[in-house]
Amino acid sequence: MQVRFWGTRGSLPVAAKAATVRDKIAAALVAAGGRKFADEAEARTYLETELDFAAAHTYGGATSCVEVDVGKGAFIICDMGSGLREFGLDSLRRCATEAHPREWHFFLSHLHWDHIMGFPFFVPAFVPGSKIVIHAGHVDAETALRRQQEEISFPVPFDWLKGDIEFRTLQTGQDYRIGAVSVSLIEQHHSHLSYGFRFQDAAGTVAIFSTDSEHKIDQMAGEANVVEFFAGADLVVCDTMYSLADSVSMKEDWGHSSNIVAIDLCHEAAAKRLALFHHEPTYSDADIQRMHRESIRYEELTRDAAPLEVLCAYDGLTVEI
Amino acid sequence: MGGSTLNWQVDDRDGARIVTPDGRVDESTATAFTERLIAETGAARGKVVLDLSGIAYMSSRGLRALTLAQREGTRAGSTLLLAKPNETMREILAISRYDMIFKVTDTIEDALTG
Repeated sequence: MQVRFWGTRGSLPVAAKAATVRDKIAAALVAAGGRKFADEAEARTYLETELDFAAAHTYGGATSCVEVDVGKGAFIICDMGSGLREFGLDSLRRCATEAHPREWHFFLSHLHWDHIMGFPFFVPAFVPGSKIVIHAGHVDAETALRRQQEEISFPVPFDWLKGDIEFRTLQTGQDYRIGAVSVSLIEQHHSHLSYGFRFQDAAGTVAIFSTDSEHKIDQMAGEANVVEFFAGADLVVCDTMYSLADSVSMKEDWGHSSNIVAIDLCHEAAAKRLALFHHEPTYSDADIQRMHRESIRYEELTRDAAPLEVLCAYDGLTVEI
Repeated sequence: MGGSTLNWQVDDRDGARIVTPDGRVDESTATAFTERLIAETGAARGKVVLDLSGIAYMSSRGLRALTLAQREGTRAGSTLLLAKPNETMREILAISRYDMIFKVTDTIEDALTG
């Protein structure tokens, strides 16, 4: 199974400004100390091996969109954030060059703007012959998607889309099958609710997508259900937008969680990897990298059994599990 | 992590209550830690100093218990302060940014006089 991140930012798409790119290049040149590179490949090797991630890359700024790829069958995509636009184009490329079936199955964590804003730009929806199935725990998913394409918000009405689009409302406590993949969901605490999804392929590999989930300070006993849902997962993609202090003070009831709580839940669940996700839009690359390093350190300090690998999701990351 | 227990010592000094648990605050002890700490901040008036010197480390459940106890203290008229964290606890307080929402001191005296 491969998990591919097309959008990892929370709440609002962001983009690096000109000065940000300039400053990264300047820092990289200074760090090179006058060294010469024979070609761009050699320069790339230097960037990959001698500079830290934030110095030579960006975590990206597209909002939530994650692909679960089991190598065959329909496309499986979590959320329709702004990262969906690029995924849509790439998926059409794969249909053309790899004979991939023209079938897309979406699983929506919830219906807030940052998680559905990519759909009006999802090119396969405009193409006759595309089969698109939108799965959600929310009964009003269709209302939300139609509403964002009403005239007041967008020039192309939903009904103009040429693909075959179907909505399916899912229930917690049930297993659903999409080809060889089994899917279940859990209700999460968030404004208008959100849902986490557990994907298991034929080989038993498990990926969890759990974003926009606040673990309430006065409902810690209820986290046993989350631990059970995460149990033994090979990868947990988790909302880690805030520090723990922010999540219990100024940003309490904003519907998000922290790196600290995510690590504790994964430790309890004996998960193998955690991907930090739904990055705060005000965070710079350096801020996100600092949060990632601190998360790795917290995992080390509190580890009592097998190590949990803590990854930091970025736009363009593919995790092989 | 199972099977851990916490031992508690409580002293009243200079109008403040000094609460000293000893052990690990993890998934197996977090509920008892939370209930006891809330009871202490709810019963006290003025400062409640949590002496962390006997706490090896604390997971997010323990940290969140600090917030619940702080809220109970606010209702009751007490203030929760953190004192004498070991290096691990100091790192955890920094990573969680709890050192920005709680006053953390190196000594009990600093907490009492600060």
